[in-house]
Amino acid sequence: MAVWKRDDPPGHHPAEPAPAAPRPTPASTSTPTAPEPPRRSGDRATIGPSIFIKGDLTGDEDLVIEGRVEGKVDLKQNNVTVGRNGKVKADVFGRVVSIEGEVDGNVFAQEQAVLRQSGAIRGNITAPRVVLEDGSRFKGTIDMEPKERHLAGAPAPVPSRIAAPATEPGTAAEVPAGLIRSAQAG
Amino acid sequence: MSWLSALRGAGPRKDTAVRGSAARSGVAEEGPEIHRSLALPAVFSTLARGHRLNVLDLGPAIGGNVERLSEFSCKLYIEDLYASRSQEGAARSLGPDFFAQFLAPPEGTQFDLVLAWDLFNYLDRKELALLAERLRRFCRPGALLFALSSIHKTIPAQPIRFRFHDRDEDQLVYERLTLVERPGPRFVPAEFNDLLRGFQVDRSFLLRHGIQEYLFLREG
Repeated sequence: MAVWKRDDPPGHHPAEPAPAAPRPTPASTSTPTAPEPPRRSGDRATIGPSIFIKGDLTGDEDLVIEGRVEGKVDLKQNNVTVGRNGKVKADVFGRVVSIEGEVDGNVFAQEQAVLRQSGAIRGNITAPRVVLEDGSRFKGTIDMEPKERHLAGAPAPVPSRIAAPATEPGTAAEVPAGLIRSAQAG
Repeated sequence: MSWLSALRGAGPRKDTAVRGSAARSGVAEEGPEIHRSLALPAVFSTLARGHRLNVLDLGPAIGGNVERLSEFSCKLYIEDLYASRSQEGAARSLGPDFFAQFLAPPEGTQFDLVLAWDLFNYLDRKELALLAERLRRFCRPGALLFALSSIHKTIPAQPIRFRFHDRDEDQLVYERLTLVERPGPRFVPAEFNDLLRGFQVDRSFLLRHGIQEYLFLREG
């Protein structure tokens, strides 16, 4: 059983032979069976649904996790996707981190963190841009520091418009707190 | 017909618009409604005033709100109290232990803005006082608390999902999740002053669709 499987479409043959063993080899793994040496695909590697990895994952290619990972996923320069079947109990570092499955841990994205509709995170997200799709489940903290603003040292934005309290009759009315009861009674 | 205006209690009794399968399932068929908000400009004004503000959202994680708040580079804490309460069993009143466990940000955290939405409608008075106690501890003096309360006799059985409008800072999108109703608490401002010790009603706005918006300030 292979820990890593190719995402290449059938019939696709890379121009160059794949290197023997890429860096993302887990520092320590605990899998149901002894894994074959991880294979590198042109685009990304995948941890299959039946695989359980315990330990740290590092590397320099994109990764899709459909299995279970406990420990740490550290691919700061690459994209990390936790697929629908993926269950990760670890801090996840990536360039763009996309969650479709479950993450119990913190997510650190250099560019963007995306929590898909099917996804769930119990932990904190740190990213310049965070996208939460409706229906997704999230409990934790989101730390949003726009990278460009941070780098440029620009001040915080001023809202485009601060509306004054409405005074038009029939639309709404500002009622002094103490008068609410009588307003209701009326 | 607007589902908000169909709610009973604020005038002549009207039947809620429930149609076909929705009536059987209790799932709302009506789409989101957009209503003018008189309190939101103050919320955005608070967000614009500072940098790296700590914002506590006591509602569910909603993508549009997160995206909107990201414009202000704040640190957003999302703690869906209603969902946590439901997990604990909504039938019984929750005690101090629940709130101590529920709202336990890292030591030293001081919130600048709290978005409570319509959560207060779904807490009993004792729970509201316990929540206020926790909020008081973790809000810095002058912090703003935004909440909505219904003056209707009945309210949706589940909290409404509120979203900031894409463009307008004085518009709020209401999405009702169920047509099933339950009795509303019908809080009045004087009661809030008593229950939310440490917070003061700064402004309140009674909107024509029977929702009252509140801006509370954490006292110094």
